[in-house]
Amino acid sequence: MVGKRLGDNYRIFIMECVVQGIVETQHVEALEILLQGLCGVHRERLRIHEMCLKSGPNLGLVASEVRLLCDLEQPEPAWTVKHVGGAMRGAGAEQISVLVRTMVESKASKNVLRVFYALGYKLDHELLRVGFAFHFQRGAQITITVSSVNKMLKLHATDEAVPVTPGIQLVEVTAPASSENYTEVVAAMSSFCEYLAPLLHLSKPGVSTGVVPTAAAAAASLMSDGGGVVPTAAAAAASLMSDGGGTTL
Amino acid sequence: MPVKWVLHWQPNAGTTVNSQILTEVSQCVEGINGVKEGRWKATLTFYRPMLREQANMAEFPRDFLGISLPEQPNKYYFVIRGQRLVLEADLTIQTIMERLQSYKARVALNFEGFQYQLGDFQLRVGKVVPNHAESLRGILMEVEYLPISSWDKSHQIMEEFFDIWQEALSKRSLPGHFVHIEPSFGEFGLSEQYTSQHTAIQYASIVAQMIATAQSAQSDVTRSLILPICLMEPSVTIQFASLIDGNLAC
Repeated sequence: MVGKRLGDNYRIFIMECVVQGIVETQHVEALEILLQGLCGVHRERLRIHEMCLKSGPNLGLVASEVRLLCDLEQPEPAWTVKHVGGAMRGAGAEQISVLVRTMVESKASKNVLRVFYALGYKLDHELLRVGFAFHFQRGAQITITVSSVNKMLKLHATDEAVPVTPGIQLVEVTAPASSENYTEVVAAMSSFCEYLAPLLHLSKPGVSTGVVPTAAAAAASLMSDGGGVVPTAAAAAASLMSDGGGTTL
Repeated sequence: MPVKWVLHWQPNAGTTVNSQILTEVSQCVEGINGVKEGRWKATLTFYRPMLREQANMAEFPRDFLGISLPEQPNKYYFVIRGQRLVLEADLTIQTIMERLQSYKARVALNFEGFQYQLGDFQLRVGKVVPNHAESLRGILMEVEYLPISSWDKSHQIMEEFFDIWQEALSKRSLPGHFVHIEPSFGEFGLSEQYTSQHTAIQYASIVAQMIATAQSAQSDVTRSLILPICLMEPSVTIQFASLIDGNLAC
């Protein structure tokens, strides 16, 4: 997070780097083992109720969209307002394998949905993400989430959510960045994503690459007792640690 | 957190607030042994919807306020009084509102002055001035009682202090008095345990009262001129923006 003081108000410019991929649910356990070895931290459980709101027909000079995230894993549901802006464009942006976009988040108290309804925003759709996340520092503050994306059959009925794509889970790697440091963050993320390549391919959101053909073999290798599960993960982690995660692709 | 009453200066009929009153109020605090500690500042911003068709203005809140408080420098508060809504968020919520381009920060009021310590009480006396202007629009006072965080339990001692304060101030024969508005916090979904959201609601209530007072004072003088225009465009925000700009037109 980079903050600049302008006059009486803080103006905080925040960007994020992001890549996404998919993995078959049967290989999630292997992915978790690999991530555990690479990250060196314990996973955190993830259960996020995400609501996407859009401005009403007459509100705003342009249509706008805001996401409200409710973390259901906390003892008291914790709310976050998230605004995702446009992706960086141009020849330089196209050459890198990571999407760089503006993103601003703010924690909020529990009646945030009522406030945005009062302001003229309408619920467009809602999702429930269930899975796990790893947060760690390796050249950037990287977050990896592995989650099944579920839809609600009734409004806000998170207990009755069903998977949107049964048997497939979404993997998302993100890291906060600023206009000053995003190239370093992109390099750190790209370097890290290389280690996941046998199991899944990560690319810019919206660029579908499907599951990788080597996933089953890589998962089997990771899961087998004598097949070098731990050595593979540990070696990958050791390699990352030794170069500080700063290796570019 | 400690309970707090936010008071505002109500001028007598036919009088207006001026800097001499502020000076005397500050001297009065020092006269009852208040120890000056430092400066404080709060800010209140009026947000107005940005609409593609102005005809549908009535669908959107006209009393949408953003408030920053010195007691929580990393937080920002939204209040929509008409719908009894208060929200606590991070400072970054302002950036999100800017990027959504659906509401525009129209005018802002600064509340700024000095803080005093008086036993278990912390007092803040300050002026109300529009952002980017020096013209005094009101006087505000915070009375905070540090040992108690329960609104209900503190009521008696706060009332007793308020009476003593009014008595001390009355000796100066100033043209007005401090008023305490007690909002129904329960209607906003808040408990009686005091938080900064309670403070935000008190600020919003005071500003609503100041608008009403200013409108009333103006209507006494220019009722025949203003009223027809106000009826055509009854937006409180627009009226108040005009009032703090020093104009008479709605």
